[in-house]
Amino acid sequence: MKFLLKRLHKNRHLYEPGGKLEALFPLYEAQETFLFTPPHQAKGAPHVRDGLDLKRAMMTVIFALIPPTLWGIYNAGLQYNVVNQIENASTMTHWIQGAMIVMPIILVSYIVGGIIEVAFCIIRKHEVNEGFLVTGLLFPLTLPPTIPLWQVAVGIAFGILIGKEIFGGTGFNVLNPALTARAFLFFAYPAQISGDAVWTVVKADNVIDGFTGATPLAVAAATPAGASVIDALNEAGFSWSTMFGGAIGGSIAETSVIPILLGAALLIAMGIGAWRIMAGGVIGLTIAASLMNLLPADNFSPFTQLPFYYHMVMGSFLFGIVYMATDPVSAAATNTGKWIYGILIGVLAIIIRVGNPAFPEGVMLAILFMNVMAPMIDHYVVQGHVRKRRADIEARRLSYAKG
Amino acid sequence: MTPIKISKGLDIPIAGKPAATLHEVSHEGDIAVYQEFEGLKAKLKVQEGDLVEHGQVLFIDKKQPDLQFCSPVAGTVKAIEYGARRALYRVIIEPSAGDQPVTFNRYTLDQLRGIGRDAALENLLASGLLSLIRQRPFSRIADASVTPKSIFVNAMNTAPFGPDINVAVQGREQALQAGVHILTQLTEGPVYLCLAPSAAEAVRNLDGAEKHVFEGPHPAGNTSVHIHHLDPMLPADQVWNVKAVDLIRIGELFLNGTLPTTSVVSLAGPGVQETARAHYRVPIGMPLSALLDGKLESGEHRIVKGNALAGVAMKSAEHVSAIESALTIIPESEEQYFMGWLAPGINKLSASRTYLSGWNGHKREWKLTTLLNGSYRSMVFTGLYDKYVPLNILVDYLVRAVLAHDTDEAISLGILETDPEDFALCSYVCPSKMDISGIIKQGLAEIEKEGI
Repeated sequence: MKFLLKRLHKNRHLYEPGGKLEALFPLYEAQETFLFTPPHQAKGAPHVRDGLDLKRAMMTVIFALIPPTLWGIYNAGLQYNVVNQIENASTMTHWIQGAMIVMPIILVSYIVGGIIEVAFCIIRKHEVNEGFLVTGLLFPLTLPPTIPLWQVAVGIAFGILIGKEIFGGTGFNVLNPALTARAFLFFAYPAQISGDAVWTVVKADNVIDGFTGATPLAVAAATPAGASVIDALNEAGFSWSTMFGGAIGGSIAETSVIPILLGAALLIAMGIGAWRIMAGGVIGLTIAASLMNLLPADNFSPFTQLPFYYHMVMGSFLFGIVYMATDPVSAAATNTGKWIYGILIGVLAIIIRVGNPAFPEGVMLAILFMNVMAPMIDHYVVQGHVRKRRADIEARRLSYAKG
Repeated sequence: MTPIKISKGLDIPIAGKPAATLHEVSHEGDIAVYQEFEGLKAKLKVQEGDLVEHGQVLFIDKKQPDLQFCSPVAGTVKAIEYGARRALYRVIIEPSAGDQPVTFNRYTLDQLRGIGRDAALENLLASGLLSLIRQRPFSRIADASVTPKSIFVNAMNTAPFGPDINVAVQGREQALQAGVHILTQLTEGPVYLCLAPSAAEAVRNLDGAEKHVFEGPHPAGNTSVHIHHLDPMLPADQVWNVKAVDLIRIGELFLNGTLPTTSVVSLAGPGVQETARAHYRVPIGMPLSALLDGKLESGEHRIVKGNALAGVAMKSAEHVSAIESALTIIPESEEQYFMGWLAPGINKLSASRTYLSGWNGHKREWKLTTLLNGSYRSMVFTGLYDKYVPLNILVDYLVRAVLAHDTDEAISLGILETDPEDFALCSYVCPSKMDISGIIKQGLAEIEKEGI
């Protein structure tokens, strides 16, 4: 590896101040620090430093995204082969077909996002931040597999520019950039990201009898009054265990619970993902869904009667709460704040899901809304802390004076 | 004594702990006295070529003119050097036999129990040893016009590394006891003595102080933690604090009537040869080169005055400090590892569990270097810092208040109860490699300038 490092260093002077390619230094720096850890030394105290840097923290998130990504690839191929009734389909053809559907979406997201990120770093003269590696993968995973590639490009560009760079880059953004990108597509091009037809790739010349492509959320929302929502789901082929396993149509990485739980376990074990937010989200969803169950079934839509454990495995709730809500930049930062933030995301997701049939998927909007609210939550938590710490010192002083 | 248990924090498993042995070091050549106090404006009282006696004034504090900084030897002023903005940097003295050392008031141990505040301050000011006592908030030299609410004596050292009071006190038991008696004269409140669970009898049995044992990982031995648990401060309070190893010198001054000429320093860190990692009784102001000669490992090193977490880098041409008794030697490194973000992390120490070393690596010793292990990034609010500060403080928000120059908010978040050293572990673990201690220091300076 010494040889590689020497080669890198041989060209370094070109990119340093005064060199021919000085303007492109961030590009060189990104390449060198991708291959090798940087040679920087601690300038002052402390004179020794921990091994963890932001690059490694972000890469841990990428590793945690691998299980849902692989599932998304496999499932896209599986759904294609099943719906189009491809003969002799095997596991291998599922993988190949899935890769052909999903990989272009991820690649476009990375390439367009990467170009914008690097361009901003060159203009701003700072190092390429590794945050875009996470955004560039998170975003495509939330899209339907039928998404036109040009919309992927437009979406990620919007997310990185408006969601992040105009605020000053990683660390300064208010909203989660990946969700900003998805929300933009959702409202700008609703036809390609909502409805029943977008969740599975269907051959253009292939008219399949009886296939509607509706997602469990759409089925649940459309349950006729007086009918049981669970029966309606079962009839459409969405039993609880089917939705848990996730071999159904939907956004690329959201359908199966198992790989997401794997990723969550990794994030929590590594100490990178905020378990308080995840736990808060689950609690919030449970409370909100259970309260909805108490509404009189006659006066409200049957969707209100769906138990919380169904809600938990439907749509993008788990993917959102594990990967999107825990983004440390846009989430609440205080421990109490994280609980409140997580719980409210769960509650809001259910309210939007059930209460507003126009948006069967409430998780994205719930998280974005709570991103905006997070600083306010933290503000009140901090004010409470300030009052309490002062009262605490005064109380301890009084007891000291007495005794 | 039930120990007060501290759970937040981290003992960094860095190699180089000093052995509990004490070696005598003598030195014949030049010595130097530094102006090493931040914020102090020095007024010189000698010129180059002057003859000075042992204990004679070299310079005084313009703000507190009674506070005199004195020569630890008799000799000739060989050179006076200035640093940035013509501020005094150091006075170099060539020792020679003097006529008569300058004497200070001398007391017996029994007398010291009741000499009164004025007599105690008189000696401390005239000898300059008041500078070993610090005043909170702001951690400046104690102001003789202030009667502190209480005084904290720190007989602990949890940072890597510093002198062990059990070693330094050997043969100086009376001086340490004298020091405690003197402190009781300076305040109407209590004198707290904060001990490690391992404190020796000689320290544990000191008379006149309220004793408490603190147990747990660094920063259990930091004065801010002691204050927070024993006698928390409100913004208007003033508290003094002193290290027990320094208190020995104060006791010696009052018992002998002359300025102590030696101090105990610990020489430690991965850059020191294993056999040389120990405590040394050295003449104050002797050149580092003479002390370190033959004791370091090969390669380039950073000489740190103080511990690895909060110390200051020194030049090898400098001298043993009069106020800091730890020397930590850390190897310099610019090594680049292949794909560090992907490596399992068996050979890289991290407190985070993203490295295998974060799971079980803290049981063995690591030869840490000055490597930053990353690049500078923007601050990300994670609440990570709070795990390393056992004070009731939201570190992220305090840092943000300081960066926004919101001094009122910083005060209500508790900045006045802290010292920059309390945040050294935050900088150590920060994935964005931020200088948290430096930010807090700047915030304290700003508040001190504006007034509370």
